[in-house]
Amino acid sequence: MSAANGVFAVSWPRVQSTGARTLQRERQLNQFLAEVERRALRVAEIAVRDRDEALDLVQDAMIKLARNYATRPETEWTPLFYRILQNGIRDWHRRQKVRNRVMVWFGRGKAGEDEYDVIASAPDPAGRAPDDELQTHEAMQQLERAIRELPDRQREAFMLRTFEGVDVAGTATAMGCSEGSVKTHYSRAVHALREQLGEHWS
Amino acid sequence: MKKTGRNEEFVSQARKQFDDSVERLDAATLSRLNQGRHRALAELQTAKPLGQWLRWAPAAGIAVAAVVTVMVMNAPAPTVTDKSITATDFEMLLEDDSLELFEDLDFYTWLQSADLEANSNVS
Repeated sequence: MSAANGVFAVSWPRVQSTGARTLQRERQLNQFLAEVERRALRVAEIAVRDRDEALDLVQDAMIKLARNYATRPETEWTPLFYRILQNGIRDWHRRQKVRNRVMVWFGRGKAGEDEYDVIASAPDPAGRAPDDELQTHEAMQQLERAIRELPDRQREAFMLRTFEGVDVAGTATAMGCSEGSVKTHYSRAVHALREQLGEHWS
Repeated sequence: MKKTGRNEEFVSQARKQFDDSVERLDAATLSRLNQGRHRALAELQTAKPLGQWLRWAPAAGIAVAAVVTVMVMNAPAPTVTDKSITATDFEMLLEDDSLELFEDLDFYTWLQSADLEANSNVS
């Protein structure tokens, strides 16, 4: 009887602390994901040019991070998350290439490119005037087009450093390359973008 | 220096444009992001992180080593089987020396027939 009580006394606080740790980890991960999800979505959207696909990619990255790396130190989450996301984007591009080859083989072009998009044509729920919207969107659309023209590695380096605010070391981890390569890709990307957009952009 | 300053200005402007576009995300998109995040957090309840499995790696390594040691110690002595003979024959044939054997095959055939003839004469 006393032995049983002893076991209970030893194991109960342990279970309790494990539960508390899990809860705390969940709260930290929730906060981290809430901070990065919007920017990650826009980065993915710029890379794949499709919001639904971008949403799927971001969700997959969040699930993989939670499933495999939740117990890693919080400081490692940012580069790990973006590495997962960038891998997802690269896989997506590979699949698209295969899909496009198959479509060409069967004599079908990309479906739906010229279709009328009801959602895109709907009025802005925030009530902004079309002229204002046009002005604000135009610069970003130009930038997005220019970013898509960049080679993959330059695009990744530029978006991670500029849009996500990841430091050089974190970007190197996310891209799976050296810090020197990150600096080179980033510098070339900035140069190419400035050249393409011109001095009077934005 | 001037070029660096212009680069920084460009990057700062690009970041501002991007931030504005993030702010303009619609409610439906934000809702889907929220759902995705909660799906990811639900994984924490069921996930077995890699760390938990790696914790057992040393013990598993020792166990495997022990099993292999016992198997090696209890293994019977190697015996010559038909299969091993066949393998040995192939090895011999594949050696460079075997080419010489093929070249002198006529000589060996003659030698064998001469032996047979001599034996028949003796008997």
